[in-house]
This record gives sequence, C-alpha cells and structure tokens, in this order.
Amino acid sequence: MTSTIEEDFELELRSLPGVLSVGINHRESGEVDAVVLSVRNQDPETVRESAVQVASLYYPDASVILEEAVGVQQMRSEVTARITLARFDFNEHDGVSEVHLTYAGKTGVGRAGSGPLIGGSEATLGALRDLGHVIPFYLMGVTKVETVVGYSVIVALRSLSADDDRMGIALAEGDLESSAKATLDALNRYVSMSSDRQRDGSASGDGYGSGEIVPSQPDVMSNGQYEYE
Amino acid sequence: MTRVDEDFAAETENGQLHEPWVFLTMLDQMSTSEVNIGFIYSVLDLLARRYNLTDAVVVLRDEALGTQTFRLGQKSLASDSPASLATAPGLFSEPDIVPNVVRDVVRNVCQLALTLHLARHSADHDPLTSIANRRHFDAALRNASVQSARYGWAFTLVLIDLNGFKAVNDRLGHAVGDDMLRSFGWALRRSVRSGDTTARLGGDEFAIILANAEGSEVLAFTERLRSLLVSIPELDFSVGTATSPGDSTDPAELYRIADGRLYEKKGIVLR
Repeated sequence: MTSTIEEDFELELRSLPGVLSVGINHRESGEVDAVVLSVRNQDPETVRESAVQVASLYYPDASVILEEAVGVQQMRSEVTARITLARFDFNEHDGVSEVHLTYAGKTGVGRAGSGPLIGGSEATLGALRDLGHVIPFYLMGVTKVETVVGYSVIVALRSLSADDDRMGIALAEGDLESSAKATLDALNRYVSMSSDRQRDGSASGDGYGSGEIVPSQPDVMSNGQYEYE
Repeated sequence: MTRVDEDFAAETENGQLHEPWVFLTMLDQMSTSEVNIGFIYSVLDLLARRYNLTDAVVVLRDEALGTQTFRLGQKSLASDSPASLATAPGLFSEPDIVPNVVRDVVRNVCQLALTLHLARHSADHDPLTSIANRRHFDAALRNASVQSARYGWAFTLVLIDLNGFKAVNDRLGHAVGDDMLRSFGWALRRSVRSGDTTARLGGDEFAIILANAEGSEVLAFTERLRSLLVSIPELDFSVGTATSPGDSTDPAELYRIADGRLYEKKGIVLR
C-alpha cells in the first residue's frame, strides 16, 4: 500500500482539472521518481504547471510527465456519439422517401419507395442498417393519431426472431420526419444496447447510451426523453 | 437458516469465502482512515492475484473529480490498457475473466474508498489553498500542546495575517485575491519542514505549528517564506508567534499570545 503522503499527493494531482489518471513510478529505493498524468480536455501546459507546483511540495526531485488521454478521449467521444436524424426528403416525383442518419462521423442513407409515412420508417431502418447496425425488425404498421397538439405518428415494428414488438411515437412538422423519429424512438433501447455490444464485445455495459438515438430537433411528444424500456 | 440467509452467506459449505466477500472483508479489516486511494490499488492487486490478471483498471466517477481511472500497480493509463474498453464506470481487466458479480463488488468497494478519502480530505482541508483548515489545525495544536506539557517538546505557533489584503481584493477583484491566497498557501507549504502543520484559519489568516522550533528556526522560516513571495510584492504579511512550553502549554492561551504579538506588530491594540 502507498504511504499516506503519497496518497494525498495523488489525490491532489487528481484534483487538478482535466486529470483522468495518475501513474507513479518509484525508484528501487522506493522514492517517487516520476508521475505520469493522463489529461484530457485541458491545456496540457496549464496542467503541467500546476502539477509541477504540487510535485515540488511533495517530491521536488520527481519529474512530471503528461500524456494526452487519446485512447480514452476517443472512447469518450464514442460514448457521447448519438445517432442523429440529419436529413429527410420525400421526392414526390418518383415517390421515394430518403433518410440520412449520422453517427460518430458516419452517415447512413436509407431509401424506400413508399409514401412519407411508411417510406419514412422503412428508409430509417435502411439508414440504420447502412450505419452498420443489425436491425432484426420489420415494419408492421404506421398510424397517425390526432392529438391536441397535432398529428402524432406511431410506428410498430415486429422482431424477426422473437416476440419482441417495438413501438415508437413522434410528432414533428411533416409525416416523413415524424415517421423517421417514431422509428428511431421505437428502436432506441435496442440500438443503444447493440452499439455497446458492437463496441466492447460484451454485454456488461452500464447503459450509458452509446448509440442512443437523438433526433436532430427536440421532439414535442417525447420531450427529448428517447431512452425507455 | 432461511432462504435469504443462504443467499447472503459469506462462506461456502467447505468454509471458503464466496468470491465477492473476499473483497468486502477487506473493508472489514481496515480502519476508516485506511480506506483511501492506496486501498484501491490493494484491491486491484488482490484481484490480479486471484484471477492471474496481467492488467486491471477501475474507472470511477466522482462529483468533484469527474471520471478517475486507477490502474493496477499505480501504472499510468496507457492507450493499450484495458481502460480503452471503458465506456462508463466499471472494472476492466486483461484477460477479461472476472465474474460480473465480483466486478460489481470490486468497483463499488473502490468507489467507496475514493469517496471516503475525498470526504476525509475535504473535512480537513481548505479547498482554496489545499492546506489544513481550522478544524484540523485546532486538533493538531491540541495534540502538540499535550505533548509539550507532558514531555516538554517545544514548538512554535505562528499566526500570519496578510497586510492590506482587503484593499488588494477590492482593487483587483476576488479572482486575483483568490490567486494570491493560493500562491501564499503554496509558498507556506514550500517554507515548512515535513512534520510542521500549515493551515488557513479563514480569510487572510494563516497559522503554522513549527515543530521543535524556537527563535532562529522561526526566523529562518519567515525568511524562506518572504523569499518565495518576492515575485508578488502585493503579498506582504505580519507574523505573531507563541512558543510552547515557554509561553504556555494551553492552546487557547498560545493563540491569545500569538495574536497579541501579531497585532502589536501591525500597530493595532487588541481590547
């Protein structure tokens, strides 16, 4: 176990803004030789200046090494990545609905030769698959329901493998947008879990929602809360 | 034994501890003050030995510190560490063979250790300067006074007041004032020896217990302090001292004497 002084030293370093991790190298004699700080989202020079000052109080001879937490930073940006409805369009000329979704810098495009309601949902499923998600669902039905604030679209999806129907609801300006958002709403939890599995190869994620679907604009009906069981 | 008791039994039928309990009983064997950052490394070390792990990283979250990662053997967080798998607080190991139930217990035990360490630290320290606060200092002064009375061990209580600090605050703003207090706290820590105690009593008042120090040592300390502050001319200070057992062995009396001498130097008469 480390000495109390060393623990306070480490705690003080960890209290510096942006410090994610502290590694301590010891000499054979047991004295602290160097500290390696993993830093993210902060100017490394500012952190180094503060860290050198802290180190001078505890171990004046120890060197301070900074590493940018690149791997971790990438990992964090994955966590905050969201599937976003970037573009949607219904071409009245050829009757094709087109949906563009983005996720972590990638764009997935889906098209369906149906009207805005059914086509919006099918195109969204296509765009999700284009992003690399395995979506074992097919569209069972789309319904438009009159509410006090307008017409909401409800999408029902049926699982290919299990008795696992999913439903989503959304209200947006047009039928295509509502249908796309309702489809994302229906698949929210599934895609979130699917992204966790894809990323870390395990099912032990804590559900912090990588891959969580967020439409490009706030949705009135679901009030921005897109993750639900 | 009821069904529930069986579920929560710490031992298997042949008297071995269930795996999660191995880590929980580590807490039982420690005093609260030992459950700290060092304890986290001990837990990771035990985990590595039990599962023959080559690497282990626990990722924790704290409101004040944000995300913090701790790697087996106090190693730095290299990009090839198992934490590259980390998407949220959790335990990550190489090889990835730790059962989920053990993973959860270890993570929670580590989280508790970090929280306890931080809670203890913030109860005793001034957040602005990272030196001790009045609560901690008073306890240290009581201890020193008792030992001085019992064994005749000498120490000097030094009280410091920054001159004209209020005017600096008013003229340059509180942010600059805070920076100056931080700088002063850092200079104080640089000026004392290990075994001395420094504290911010509040506002611009600081106190130090200089162990085994009288006359010339106190002078040497104030000179060290002044030399470290030479680049900040706005930071001037006055000092009042009281020595134990010479002046008194009563903490309150030592405070009173040092305070009187401090204000005497500032030209203020205490009523």
